[in-house]
Amino acid sequence: MTAPDDSKPGLDGIDVSGIDLRRVWTGVAAEVWRRQPGRVERIATRLLRSPGLARALVTTPSLLVPWLISTVVVFVIGGALTLAGEPLVWLIAPVAAALGIAYAYGPGVDPAWELACSMAVSDRMVLLVRSVAVFAVNAFLGLAVSVVSYWVIGPAAHGATGRAAGQAVAVTFAWLLPMTAICALTLAVAVATRSASAGAATGVVAWCTTVLVTRAITSGELTAAVTNSMTYLPYLAVAACAVAVIGFGTRTQRGAL
Amino acid sequence: MNIELTSVTRTFGGNRAVDGVSLDAGPGVLGLLGPNGAGKTSLLRMLATVLPPSSGEVRLLDRDPRHAADRREIRRRLGYLPQNLGYYPAFTVVEFIEYFALLKEVPPARVPKAVATAVERVDLGGKAKSRLRTLSGGMLRRVGIAQAIVNDPDLLLLDEPTAGLDPEQRVGFRALLRSLGEASTVVVSTHLVEDVGAACSEVALMDAGHIVFRGTPAELIARGEGHGVGDAPLERGYSAVLTAARNGSVAA
Repeated sequence: MTAPDDSKPGLDGIDVSGIDLRRVWTGVAAEVWRRQPGRVERIATRLLRSPGLARALVTTPSLLVPWLISTVVVFVIGGALTLAGEPLVWLIAPVAAALGIAYAYGPGVDPAWELACSMAVSDRMVLLVRSVAVFAVNAFLGLAVSVVSYWVIGPAAHGATGRAAGQAVAVTFAWLLPMTAICALTLAVAVATRSASAGAATGVVAWCTTVLVTRAITSGELTAAVTNSMTYLPYLAVAACAVAVIGFGTRTQRGAL
Repeated sequence: MNIELTSVTRTFGGNRAVDGVSLDAGPGVLGLLGPNGAGKTSLLRMLATVLPPSSGEVRLLDRDPRHAADRREIRRRLGYLPQNLGYYPAFTVVEFIEYFALLKEVPPARVPKAVATAVERVDLGGKAKSRLRTLSGGMLRRVGIAQAIVNDPDLLLLDEPTAGLDPEQRVGFRALLRSLGEASTVVVSTHLVEDVGAACSEVALMDAGHIVFRGTPAELIARGEGHGVGDAPLERGYSAVLTAARNGSVAA
């Protein structure tokens, strides 16, 4: 932590005594060290209206321990859901997942959590962004596994392999994809209203509505109900709603950027 | 005044960590001294808006942190180094500092220059692209200091900033503190009285949740004249004030 020696005479006979070399070096270093945000981060910055939230979104999987914990929590809950049929279990599942993610990316595991709590960008908004990333990436992985199991193993596979493939499809379509949509809606409302609480309340209402409507439509076994093709409509409606809210709430003012 | 505390108390269960503290501070470096458990870290966490007070009033940078909009503005202009700051091992030095610069809402166009300036100020230019998992404890502490100053804060709160720094780095850090204190309010919580003597324009000494002394380092030294405990003048002053406070003759 020392200042560089600016007072040296010129290099190769050039007089640099009137130049603030420290300032010049800092400018050079800024350019050399500058990180170019990727496409996902640039889009997220525009949608979320916050470079900090966008950075938190894309760095979520790179925080390895929290990522592993939250992924395990999400998959365990998803697996349990596809085996359970009680509506109450479905209704409280997002809360359990949120707790797991909040623990992993919050005071439980995140080593810089206290510092994050002193930031201008709200720590709860950061947690919402983390939740979206956890569900979205795992939904993507679940879709990949579903596609592979369909094309490689085959839809009519029997035995343990067939059951595992069926379970992966069920977890993806009944849990990961809807929750990605719900988390996106929650985040969209939070960004639009600048309130994580408002977003969370919207997410809870959306999830409860989805589960109860689904149950009402099928009026049968809930596990089967949410994997029924008829249930995709409410999920798509929620996803469309999320996109609409994001689009409206984060519309760019001309000349603002 | 950048810091205005009025009768601030913070309790944890039945324990009063901070007990009726009133404190004002403008630009300059304020050293917060005291033994373990005196309440320094709790006080600093309240100043960092991480911990709300149980009672009393806190105003920072002429704003009330109880209001969300004010709190956000305070945090934009705040630098904070917690006592036990963990790090993201897979991040590079620049990535870590940049991440927190963005969370502090430093305008994106200014972030690269701000990060480079902060990295250079803590003398980590040679390690800018190194992963945090490869750095020593002292280097990590400097990364923590760099993230605290990256937004050029008006209020800088440092909890044990020199822990892990070697003597040469400590000397450099004190020079950095003096330079930062010319325009900002810097509060440094430390056990090391030599840091206070070298870098601080004012000292507040805490014991059992109270501020038992407030004055300049020279005034603290004067309190220690004739006091037998302590190797250095400031240590004798520190010891004399604590002894007087514990014997019931508090005179701040």
